[in-house]
Amino acid sequence: MSSHKTARLARVLRGALRVWGVAASVEAEAQGGEFILRAPSMTLRIVPGWLVFRDGQLLASHAGLPGLLRTLRQELAPGFANGRLIIGSSL
Amino acid sequence: MTPISVITGFLGSGKTTLLSHLLRDPALARTAVIVNEFGEVGLDHLLLEASDEEVVLLEGGCLCCKVRGDLVRTAGELLARRARGDAAFDRIVIETTGLADPAPILQALMTDREIAPALRLDSVIATVDCAAGGATLDAHPESVKQAALADRIVLTKTDLADSSALAQRLRRINPAAHQLTALHGAVDPSLLFNASVYEPRLYESHAHSGEVTTFCLRRSEPLHAVTLSLFLQVLAEHCGAKLLRLKGLVDVVESPGRPALIHGVQHVFHPPAWLEAWPDDDRSTRIVVISQGLDAAWLQDLIEVLDDEVTACSIS
Repeated sequence: MSSHKTARLARVLRGALRVWGVAASVEAEAQGGEFILRAPSMTLRIVPGWLVFRDGQLLASHAGLPGLLRTLRQELAPGFANGRLIIGSSL
Repeated sequence: MTPISVITGFLGSGKTTLLSHLLRDPALARTAVIVNEFGEVGLDHLLLEASDEEVVLLEGGCLCCKVRGDLVRTAGELLARRARGDAAFDRIVIETTGLADPAPILQALMTDREIAPALRLDSVIATVDCAAGGATLDAHPESVKQAALADRIVLTKTDLADSSALAQRLRRINPAAHQLTALHGAVDPSLLFNASVYEPRLYESHAHSGEVTTFCLRRSEPLHAVTLSLFLQVLAEHCGAKLLRLKGLVDVVESPGRPALIHGVQHVFHPPAWLEAWPDDDRSTRIVVISQGLDAAWLQDLIEVLDDEVTACSIS
């Protein structure tokens, strides 16, 4: 992953944490696009793919960002009032 | 499909006066009205000069939280009566209570399987009282949301107070809405109804009021349809009530020359409507977001990351 894309993904993760009201830091590793996410009570290591580790144990794996965000929200902001996409009738 | 409009606005802001005036206009002669009043005894409907048969009163609670089911049933009954030849109307207008959050009402109109296919959500009209509007916006978050979700904002009681400061504040809350003034309810109905989801000035929006943020996301390269779907899914799932309304024109890779028109209220979206052609010379994706606290740069990055993932999957 290029440094540009790593930085952008780190911004996306930080932005999601802000929306959920979670005080946590996101550090992007210079090589390999890994991310260390430090919240008050836990540290998550995120490896592109996406694999989420907590305390060295695999917590979840996802093919894409939407699944990764879901795991992070459930872990870090379980009380956040999430929604579900509903598609209504035609315009 | 029958156009349906929602008139919202805080208590005493002039909704009924506006509606009463509108119903006297010959252009709106064939309008059915659903009135919702908060309290044991409804009175507002008595002030409306229209055929009783086409004015339906919902009593006993606020439209947004208690009687949404009644609203859907009432709208369904109106449509059924017309189908039987017992009612004649070309348009439905709903007047909410002053305390109503319009979002769940709009969502119900967009999603109910009985009525949604027969209705086209036209305009959301918010009345704001120039005499008390500023204090109301300060004290009642419902009124901020009413203004934020509107396509049209009608400033009322302009004879009682100067409207300029309030108009500026409302423009910061919702720069995409057309502002109109009504003296004793008088306003040209052609400026209130037949709102289009596509309005060029909508895409120039950018404002921050402290309560509501409005911005336009732009992208010159087309998006994959899957990216658009994932983007809306992430917004709906992870932004909760912070997303108020979203409208946009999207250039989709799989549909060259035919942009997708998207429209959502919080986590409820219409399915994309595919236009036959671009409405103007601008071929870029434009998505207007009205939110409470969402950040434009974050959403712009989110689109790019999602499209990178989708592109990588398409290539591999």
